[in-house]
Amino acid sequence: MSMPTDFPADATTRFKALALKSGATLVGVADAAAFDAHAPAKHRPVDLLPGARTVVVVGGAQPRAGDWVASSPWLLSTMGTTERIQGVGRRLAQAIESELGYYALFVPPGTAAGEAPFMSLMLAAELAGLGTRSLAGPILNREHGFMYWSAVVTTAPFDVDGPTTDAACPAPACRDMWEREHTTPCLRVCPLDAGGCLAGRLEGDRAVRTAYDAGRCHTRVHTHWVGGFQKVLEETLNEPDRARRKMLVYGDFMTRTLWSITYSSTNIAQCFECMRACPAAHGLKEMR
Amino acid sequence: MATDAVVDAVKRVGLDAGARVVGVAAADAFRAGVPEGFRPEDILPGARSVVVAGGDGPTAGAWRCPDHRVMEITGYDLRENVAIHAMCDYIERELGHYAVQAPSLPVHGHEPPMSMMHAAELAGLGTRSFAAHIILNPEYGLLYYAALITTLPLPADPPLAEPACPHPGCAAMYKRIGTTPCLRVCPACLSGTMKSARIETSTYDREKCHSRAQTYGIGSFQKALLAVVDEDDPARRREMIHSDFFAKSIQSLGFFRDSIAQCFECMRVCPVGRKHRKLK
Repeated sequence: MSMPTDFPADATTRFKALALKSGATLVGVADAAAFDAHAPAKHRPVDLLPGARTVVVVGGAQPRAGDWVASSPWLLSTMGTTERIQGVGRRLAQAIESELGYYALFVPPGTAAGEAPFMSLMLAAELAGLGTRSLAGPILNREHGFMYWSAVVTTAPFDVDGPTTDAACPAPACRDMWEREHTTPCLRVCPLDAGGCLAGRLEGDRAVRTAYDAGRCHTRVHTHWVGGFQKVLEETLNEPDRARRKMLVYGDFMTRTLWSITYSSTNIAQCFECMRACPAAHGLKEMR
Repeated sequence: MATDAVVDAVKRVGLDAGARVVGVAAADAFRAGVPEGFRPEDILPGARSVVVAGGDGPTAGAWRCPDHRVMEITGYDLRENVAIHAMCDYIERELGHYAVQAPSLPVHGHEPPMSMMHAAELAGLGTRSFAAHIILNPEYGLLYYAALITTLPLPADPPLAEPACPHPGCAAMYKRIGTTPCLRVCPACLSGTMKSARIETSTYDREKCHSRAQTYGIGSFQKALLAVVDEDDPARRREMIHSDFFAKSIQSLGFFRDSIAQCFECMRVCPVGRKHRKLK
């Protein structure tokens, strides 16, 4: 990467500090070109911002310890916290432009079409050295576990962090469990061969995912939201009985679905079980 | 009337909370151009001042993105609303006066209880443009506005003496070829004339613009839903319900904060504030 001569030497340190001050738990920088080997065309940084040099990735806003131990299953599915990390990304993008004078594009959350995001935030987090893929799927940071991500594609030539080789998964407790029982918490909580979504194994210190049923996972993680609304709408229109139709419209499912659409930014998922069971995802720290 | 130091302190709170610009209008200045029922005192009895905050829209990087969907869902942080809340808190807690965020979302049709565009004009933050009458700030161009209404009497900022539109470059272009960048890029929605480097007439076809700028949103959802309900064939109905158009319409309801518009062309070509969109 050619470094413009007027790029401040302390810019990377300064902007990382700004990210942390703005609420990120983690911040890292990926080389925009590093995406080429992994991301399909149209989903790479340069496809979003011509001349992109780096991708600044922030992580944080993960459920708190209290969220994980809460006894209500609805808590995690309705009190999502991702919005907080998106705010940090937006703030960084504005600051890069106004303070450094380089283009910065906040990668929009959500999907560009179908289930495909504009750019994979998980890949960005990996390439920025903030975490590694887990047997369950999400990127886990070795220190903080499961978190939400936001990214800014920029022409600013920040110093790049390489991907980490220090994988968070499998956690030591999972290695012990594998030796004992030949399974891990996430594989046990959602086994593919028993109606779940995950299959895999540990090879020494390495987690190897052998299968993941994305379709099945989707029907559990997204029981409500856009797909849920489409489903219940079709069912309602196909229902010939007027009284039953009314019941469907005012039913709990339709009501929750409408709520989840309205609060889409906070209602991201309705299943967190593989992460709830993961010792690397939210640490083992006991709270009072 | 509060002192200049007080108004400076209020503005500082807004700027520190993320507003790009902050201005003050007198509440009674709205009487001249605003119908009864839509004035600050109709929302907060005893209103004396309106403080307006302008926040950044898409970043310069977002403007450059070749994927048009990024601008549709560009993740506005709408910091102007945060700035307004920070200033409301400051006015009530520190200065002991009532302060409320001015309601700006439409309550029927396209009509908001109070016009943020007019508030921005009266607070000296910008003037109307040829481009869909969008308020342009002379320094930053397109900004998004929010306002608060307060019983605190603050010295008002005067409306701008010089309009932000037309930009000198546009005036020169009009002289040469009888049009401007925005009028040329969208002759379907916009028309106007210029005289002595000032807007002489300006027409904006809001309905036509709406059908382009908001192809997804509440309107498209209502339209698509009616078509679905009116369809008798279950197989065809299924196809419509699970189509990309209907799914995007529902998503746009969910992401209403992020998916504000789907056409930005009149603003993309506008030279006002372009220096902030031209980076390294």
